[in-house]
Amino acid sequence: MNLIDHPELADRLAAAYGLGTLRGGARRRFEAQARRSPALRAAALAWQERFASMTELQPGEAPSPNVWKRIEIELANQPRAAAAAPPAQPWARALGWWRGAAVAGGLTTAAAIGVVVYLAGEVDQRESQLAQVNGSRETLARQNVQLAAQLQAQPAIQYVAVLSDEKSAPSILVTFDPAHNTLTLKRVGAFQEGPEKSLQLWALPPSGSPRSLGVLGAEPVIKLTAAESQVRQVPALAVSLEPKGGVPGERGPTGPVLFKGALLQTP
Amino acid sequence: MDPNLLDQHLIALIDRVAAGGGQRHSDAEAALRELYDLTSSRLYGVALRVVTNREWAEDVLQEAYLNVWRIAGNYHEALSPPLAWMGVIVRSRALDFLRRRASERADTAVELDAVISDSVAGDSPNPMDVSEASEQAWALHECLRQLEARQREVLSLAYLRDLSHGELAEQLKLPLGTVKTWIRRGIEQLRGCMARFA
Repeated sequence: MNLIDHPELADRLAAAYGLGTLRGGARRRFEAQARRSPALRAAALAWQERFASMTELQPGEAPSPNVWKRIEIELANQPRAAAAAPPAQPWARALGWWRGAAVAGGLTTAAAIGVVVYLAGEVDQRESQLAQVNGSRETLARQNVQLAAQLQAQPAIQYVAVLSDEKSAPSILVTFDPAHNTLTLKRVGAFQEGPEKSLQLWALPPSGSPRSLGVLGAEPVIKLTAAESQVRQVPALAVSLEPKGGVPGERGPTGPVLFKGALLQTP
Repeated sequence: MDPNLLDQHLIALIDRVAAGGGQRHSDAEAALRELYDLTSSRLYGVALRVVTNREWAEDVLQEAYLNVWRIAGNYHEALSPPLAWMGVIVRSRALDFLRRRASERADTAVELDAVISDSVAGDSPNPMDVSEASEQAWALHECLRQLEARQREVLSLAYLRDLSHGELAEQLKLPLGTVKTWIRRGIEQLRGCMARFA
């Protein structure tokens, strides 16, 4: 049924969607129609906004003064918010962070391809490409060339990812050696998590939820064990900031995604 | 403070938090502190309502303000009143917390039950607090007020704790049909009422 022809029902479903009680197949059908219909999308967003005000109506209560002290301590360890983060559509935001990761992964793909090109020895061609790209990409690509040089020292590598932060600065270099089932992560940025936190590596499959590949230790080079089936066909990897020791893998990340990038198979 | 003025002030503080890279770090931190002073009681109330345990709610609140610190630059694309924007962040962090906990411990539901069954017992007086609410929240408040208290409670728990009909029935120890009816009627009445504020 096309909901556009049934405005009453459409609004009722939009309200249930905003409340969160529209579930299962009914929810999926509603979402599919909303993606095609700006009016339905607008109704769903309006109800989400209305119900969001529920949070403004709860009786207040002063928290313990310790909370601010803990925040202050954590602030010293936090990476800065990106003042110029690319604007996202609210609807896109609602679709889940890993889609955002996939989009951002796309941005780094060009640079990551550069790594592969370099590995094939076509440095000159790479340089001429470099001249054509804009400033930020150029910087990123040059850094990638340096990273690629580090890579060459490791012959069994078949998968490569350069995980970058929100400012596109390379932060973690990931390589996978299927012969030894070893993921090697090299910290190449300045980020260091606080003592209460751990970084966790995730595979972002083309569909479905992110899957944990393991929790990173604090050392500059980290080795994790992974089977090739865990990374094959995976278009991107991401690293999130989690409570110390990481979170259970099946539920996906709970903290912010700090670094992400496309995973490429080397020729 | 007048709600509109308060909103303007909160937005200015969020902007200062967002602008504070490098040398302006201390100004950003001062702005976050003021934001915390103005909103932490309200947001702690939200966290408490979702996780029902003071210690957990404090963990959630800490996570939520650190989240605000990181994503303050995204506030303007949200088009929401500042308190609702922060409220949604607190709710998300609180739901994450519960999911994480549920995966660690099977007995979470037992602990929640005791608290929740209190909150829907009978026709309790209106527990909502509208003193600093945005216009949007005021409209929702006016419409929720016209519902029976238990309907209002079921709607507000459905949203705040992100519960399905089945989960609500289980947690509130109510027949599934009753929950579905209350939700359906509640939504119908809200639709009629909110249309007047659109």
